[in-house]
Amino acid sequence: MTEVSLRNVIKRYGTQQAVHGIDLEIENGEFVVLVGPSGCGKSTTLRMIAGLEAISDGEVSIGGRVVNDLPPRERNISMVFQNYALYPHMTVRENLGFSLTIAKRPEDEIVRAVDEAAGILGLDELMDRKPAALSGGQRQRVAMGRAIVRHPDVFLFDEPLSNLDAKLRSQMRVEIKKLHQKVDSTIIYVTHDQVEAMTLADRIVLMRDGRIEQVGTPLQLFEQPVNIFVAGFIGSPPMNQLAGTVEGDAISLGEVYVPIPSSVRGQLSNGQKVIFGFRADNLTPVGHGLREKGETTQLDLRVHLTEPLGTETLLFATLAGAEIQGKMLNPRPVAPGEDLTFNLMLDRCHVFDAATGNAIGRT
Amino acid sequence: MRRRLPEWFVLLLPAFIVIAAVVLIPLIFSLYSSFTPYKLTRPSTLWRWVGTYNYQKILTDANFWAAFGRTVLFLTIVLNVELLLGLGIALMVNRVTWGQRTLRTILMFPMMFSPILVGFQFKFIFNDNVGLVNNVLQSLGITDMALPWLVDGRLAMFSIVFAEVWMSTSVFAILILAGLFAMPRDPLEAAEVDGCTPWQTFRHITLPFLMPFIYIAMTIRSLDVARAYDIVQIMTGGGPARRTELLWTLMSRTGYVDARMGLANAMGYVSIILSILFTIYFFRKLSAARAEIGLEG
Amino acid sequence: MDRNRTHRNRRRVLAWMHFFGLFIVMAIICIPGLWIVLNSFRPTVEIMAKPPVWVPSFTLDHYRAMFGGAGEGGVPVFHYFRNSLVVSVTSTVIAILIGMSGGYAFARYKFRFKGGIFVGLMLFRAVPGVALSLPLFIVFARVGIIDTHFGLILVYVAMNVPFTVWLTDGFFRQIPGELHEAAEIDGCTRWQAFWKVEFPVARSGVASAAIFAFLTSWNEFALASQLTRSTGSKTMPVGLLDFTAEFTINWGGMCALAVLMILPALILTFIVQKHLIAGLTFGGVKG
Repeated sequence: MTEVSLRNVIKRYGTQQAVHGIDLEIENGEFVVLVGPSGCGKSTTLRMIAGLEAISDGEVSIGGRVVNDLPPRERNISMVFQNYALYPHMTVRENLGFSLTIAKRPEDEIVRAVDEAAGILGLDELMDRKPAALSGGQRQRVAMGRAIVRHPDVFLFDEPLSNLDAKLRSQMRVEIKKLHQKVDSTIIYVTHDQVEAMTLADRIVLMRDGRIEQVGTPLQLFEQPVNIFVAGFIGSPPMNQLAGTVEGDAISLGEVYVPIPSSVRGQLSNGQKVIFGFRADNLTPVGHGLREKGETTQLDLRVHLTEPLGTETLLFATLAGAEIQGKMLNPRPVAPGEDLTFNLMLDRCHVFDAATGNAIGRT
Repeated sequence: MRRRLPEWFVLLLPAFIVIAAVVLIPLIFSLYSSFTPYKLTRPSTLWRWVGTYNYQKILTDANFWAAFGRTVLFLTIVLNVELLLGLGIALMVNRVTWGQRTLRTILMFPMMFSPILVGFQFKFIFNDNVGLVNNVLQSLGITDMALPWLVDGRLAMFSIVFAEVWMSTSVFAILILAGLFAMPRDPLEAAEVDGCTPWQTFRHITLPFLMPFIYIAMTIRSLDVARAYDIVQIMTGGGPARRTELLWTLMSRTGYVDARMGLANAMGYVSIILSILFTIYFFRKLSAARAEIGLEG
Repeated sequence: MDRNRTHRNRRRVLAWMHFFGLFIVMAIICIPGLWIVLNSFRPTVEIMAKPPVWVPSFTLDHYRAMFGGAGEGGVPVFHYFRNSLVVSVTSTVIAILIGMSGGYAFARYKFRFKGGIFVGLMLFRAVPGVALSLPLFIVFARVGIIDTHFGLILVYVAMNVPFTVWLTDGFFRQIPGELHEAAEIDGCTRWQAFWKVEFPVARSGVASAAIFAFLTSWNEFALASQLTRSTGSKTMPVGLLDFTAEFTINWGGMCALAVLMILPALILTFIVQKHLIAGLTFGGVKG
């Protein structure tokens, strides 16, 4: 029974409010990622769950028990810090066993737990080294080892991979995922990197300015963003966004008109200002897309820059004064300046109200 | 939730208490007594209020003003000489390629000397009869009579400044050296490639980076400029004929020899304010310089 | 080619000047100390000789006289040494405990007027010892702790606390705050987190702050000379004065005591030098 729930959690610093009433239910064994741009309150929220930051208002409970005023040591959690926070004066073995030593567990139990954690993370060779003698990836692993040794109810990760280089980062992502499958505990993970969020999470909590923008599975956030912010934050490359006006049964994007997608037809009024959004995956040159059928429209665009990625090529073009990106599957060489006809999959397009930024037809 | 004293306050409390007991309360007492004609020999005088009489008296006393002016002049000369010498020494040691550790250790040598010891040491060395300086000068035939280092007014002042500089230049040299070690190499190399002469490089790149370190040294020094009291007290006792009298020696003579505590405490306050002004000035400079090169913790 | 040569020559001249300058500086720094050590081993007759004797002879007379205790006008060096040691060690231990707790507050907590409180604390250190000694003399005489170890220890604690705060603040600030948070999550109380994690990491820094405090007490004169009177409490710096009579100074004996004073200081300073500089440069004022 280790679900975590936040009810109207608020954090104030003096008169400034950093977190404005977060409500969140996290189930037992779930991997939840808090993601958002820096300063969005995700770390503060995590630190309030950990007990490192006082809760100004609202209620945090872990396993059905309200923990608002409990110190961290009584919450049965463990945490992996951004800079690892390994104890520099202790060896890896002592670092791993520290929490159990503090809890005055019997010696043989500590040895067993430490060896087990070391085995899971492949630290056996490093046990007698000090943190200073470890590489970044190794330190990261020790930090994780220290977290799993205690068999906590909840794991908290505070941007644990942000200090690693790109290659190590993707490697550690896999290890964290494996770890979750092995230990089966609840994990709350904070990152500013949407790729980490997408690849790791069972459920993503996207935050901005101390508020939750959207909660959902990675695919929900990707396919059904509730507003422009979510649409722009999730997915790489970011969603193309064009300002437009509803004119009859089409949306005018300056000189170009696209038909209103059927999913939102009837929910728009004539003359309404909207943002028209679509992902690069859904704008493909004829003959180079995933599918040609369905609800599509065709656009003639001049490609002025290409970014070949091997299995696909990103194409940069200008539409109605804005830079947009399309994608070419089974790519052939494209010269800058070449004119191509693109299929735009209308049923995958998004229409947002320009005034509120909210998605239309999905509320 | 219970209201308790904030943790930081509890942590600082012992420091506050001990300082209040040993420094603050005596200072308040001395402030009071500076408004009385208190004499150690006649305790009842402590209860007679004379207002600002003592202050008026010292403000119209030529001896006091002479000592005050001499103290300010002394500090100005000493601090500037120490800074320049310290800077020079640090730059020289920084350029040394081997044996640097040894040199640094030697630099720390004067820092572990008690000021009073420095006083005695130079009293010995500048002694006109058996001192090292005169012995050397006479043996080399530079002069055939003994130079009255501590007896002549000018020479005595020079000797005291020399002793003070000997004792305290290390503080500057070592901290500036620390600054030189912490200095990033890239801007120096960039400046060299950009065509700066060594002087320009020093003036526009090295020196601005060193400023916070210089101010740290200045602040540390200003915290106990009054150490010079020990030296002067031993070497000349303020003599000959008050020619090396500083505020501190004048104060201690007034208080302990003449037993006029009230008057001495009034002088004490002037010296305290002088020290505090020095310290605040350098603390300000220090934070400004730190902000400038982004060295804040 | 010509310009190359002038540059090469100039560099050579500069190198010589550099070497020569350093030599002079080091000589000026070392000679006074060496002169003291040398003279502590020379017979008084030789020290006083006119014209000077340049080839020193060697004698342990001054040390023998010093440790031989009170002979004719002998100086009770053992007592002074013991007083100095007791006062310095005790006041250092207390000052470190108090200063460390204060330094930790400055390094880890945010509070209002922090910069002001810090500078204010330092200002108490700036009060000249002589100026402070006047009222302390009177107050201590009233309270009856003049001429006691306790009184002097109290004074030195107060004198050392501000600077210890400065130094330890610097050392604790170099330790990332995540460390005690990690310890707290690992099950420590705040108190345990400090003693088991932060203190061991800052240990060498705290040690050097301690040695600095020790040296300050060990070398202090202005206050000790007024607050101590008898053999039972006089410290070595005050004891040095015992070698001066009205018109004569026992130079040899004084030098011997000076050597005894410097030795512990010398050893301790060597141990701390590196950390001391680091602490001074990182601590203080900001944050």
